[in-house]
Amino acid sequence: MVEPLRNPHLTPDEIELWAQGLLGAARVMHLADCGECLTAAERERKLLRDLVQLPRFGPEFGFAERVMAHVRVPTPSGDFGR
Amino acid sequence: MAWPTTVGGECTSDGRGAAIGAKDRPGNLAGASDQQVVEWAKDGHEPAFRELVRRYERPVFSLVYRMVRDRALAEDLAQETFIKVLNGIRSYRPEFKFSSWIFKIANNAAIDHLRRRELDTLSLDGAPHAQTPEEMQATSLQLGSGQESPLDEVAARELGSHIERAIARLRPEYRACILLRHVEGHSYEEISQMLDLPLGTVKTYIHRGRNELRVYLEGVNE
Repeated sequence: MVEPLRNPHLTPDEIELWAQGLLGAARVMHLADCGECLTAAERERKLLRDLVQLPRFGPEFGFAERVMAHVRVPTPSGDFGR
Repeated sequence: MAWPTTVGGECTSDGRGAAIGAKDRPGNLAGASDQQVVEWAKDGHEPAFRELVRRYERPVFSLVYRMVRDRALAEDLAQETFIKVLNGIRSYRPEFKFSSWIFKIANNAAIDHLRRRELDTLSLDGAPHAQTPEEMQATSLQLGSGQESPLDEVAARELGSHIERAIARLRPEYRACILLRHVEGHSYEEISQMLDLPLGTVKTYIHRGRNELRVYLEGVNE
């Protein structure tokens, strides 16, 4: 199907912007007339939402201590305190 | 987590902090920018190092864990990342975001590990412990085909959801880009710097990664 030149389908970048609520109003209007783009955009929004909501995991307790045991803290003179 | 050397927003003298002039002494580590904390760390203020660990231990560990899908290994690689970053703090260039620098090193550690693992698989036609042709075949399929490796009980609970399993099926380059963009919220330009990839390649990887995720997840939902 040939796209109307004045109202082309949304690009992947535009779909990402729409999913983030950042797409300009003129391009958002396209979604009202294009079921294909609307379906793609809604799928994209769900995926991005799922990704953003992924939990952050933490290392085991004492991680900072284990790291700091190997870190050489510089002194103001430029050498290392340990 | 409370830091014992920070009391009421003022750092106590710990021998190293005391070497810093009073006008430069960190007043509020938790509220300072990364750049400021790094400057204090460069001056030898130990609580500043700990503050950088506190800020980034979860995001760095999460990224590495999702890349390698092995908790103990992820902890080793995250620790290696922090040691490298903190011991090299004086080489940090402030024109880049600190987060970009640490994620770059963390991602390199994870990718290097995955490449080494793949080489082991290919060169030995199976895992090192494989003795019989059946074992060789089983382990080379397990590690060499881009499929998920078995998870232990904790990892299965943490990484067993459909979306986590879909992420695991992405090739590592796509996975890193997707995680940095959509989980950590970095811009395309920052990811390009972090991964030493052209901007167009980053965009391509992210678009392909999202397409693959959608396909995997649609297969699950059908």
